[in-house]
Amino acid sequence: MDEKKAAILGEIPRLRRYARSLLRDRDAADDLVQDCLERALVRLDNWQTGESPRRWLFTIMHHLFIDQMRKVNRRGEAAMLPLEAGEAVAQPAEQVESIASREIIDALQAISPDRRAALVMVAIEGFSYAEAANILGVPAGTLMSRIARGREELRGLLDDTARRRAIRIVEK
Amino acid sequence: MIRRDFSERDIHMALDGELPSDERAAYDAWLDANPEMKAKSARFTADRAALRAAFADVLDEAVPARLRKVVLGEVPVKASVPRSRWWLAAAAAVLLVTGGLGGYFAGIDGIGQEDPAEDRLAEQAIAAHVIYAAEKRHAVEVPASDKDHLQTWLSNRVGLKLVAPDLTADGFQLVGGRLLPAGESKAAMLLYEDGNGQRISLFVTTESTENAKGTYAAAQDGPEAVYWLDKGYGCAVVGSLPRERLAEVARSAYTQLVNGLAS
Repeated sequence: MDEKKAAILGEIPRLRRYARSLLRDRDAADDLVQDCLERALVRLDNWQTGESPRRWLFTIMHHLFIDQMRKVNRRGEAAMLPLEAGEAVAQPAEQVESIASREIIDALQAISPDRRAALVMVAIEGFSYAEAANILGVPAGTLMSRIARGREELRGLLDDTARRRAIRIVEK
Repeated sequence: MIRRDFSERDIHMALDGELPSDERAAYDAWLDANPEMKAKSARFTADRAALRAAFADVLDEAVPARLRKVVLGEVPVKASVPRSRWWLAAAAAVLLVTGGLGGYFAGIDGIGQEDPAEDRLAEQAIAAHVIYAAEKRHAVEVPASDKDHLQTWLSNRVGLKLVAPDLTADGFQLVGGRLLPAGESKAAMLLYEDGNGQRISLFVTTESTENAKGTYAAAQDGPEAVYWLDKGYGCAVVGSLPRERLAEVARSAYTQLVNGLAS
């Protein structure tokens, strides 16, 4: 197997993790990874020797994600009406999550895609601000404000969940 | 030591490893002098740890064959049409507020796939089992010690005459039960445990308009459901037992359940 393909294979677990944090549903996330890999293979020649395969692949996948999110937003609600809520959240039944994990994953899904991507890129994937800004194609200042707002929003959502949980317990 | 004013922005930078090392000592002193900022920093640190933990397992999952095949060029041309389903999930995510348990149960159907009633019943039953059978102290709402009340309560809520099957012959004791949402209606879940702490659950709902029976597993190594659907009610027995044993226990549970309904 040639070196480039081996390097791409090695990045799949991280691509899957990033996709999962963006989309939550396992199959949908793997579909996004598959789209990314297919596009990457078509553009194998664009990949400069020496360039980190991780950064290159994350950039491709992020563009796919954001493009689709924009299309979805432009189409507005009409395009989404046929989707039942049930078809939507789609949390695979085999995925055993602790309550804490489920709460934070739910909260992450509820923040805006731009902030979610920025936060995950840095907080989970461990990219530096410079790398993340480069992958997301935004200035460093924009990245930083997305991370800060994302964290605040996440905290607020988690607090709401905790409050609702407390109320439920009291009502029992 | 470099003197400068710090702000919230520095909390993020420090957390993300972007604070210059020669500013670290001054930053720490600033944090110590500002309890509010220090609490914020601690909270963000904890949230980040929770985020990482929530997704940590993904790295250990086996890479799906379909993804490997794309890279290795083993995908037949026809199969390599662009994926399009994933963005439906993204679209839905835009609309969704944080889903509680209701969202969880509503959401297990997957995207764009066929959704026959028996799959839905089995998936709901498996989802409930996965969550509650793992709970040590909060597995049930009403314990087996209060069996009469449990049966009356669940019968009234679900709308069926529910008699908790006696599975002692199969080595299982009733732990208790709880009420759950199931699509538009409600479901009763009864939890049983054997001497080794192995648990199975019985999931009963009135949401059924067809006749079907079968087994269903959502994941290769996950629990399996044996289900029956009849007009007016559906039932699934879920557990991680060897298939034949599960089928046996399920048959016993089902027979008693049906007799109970008719009694």
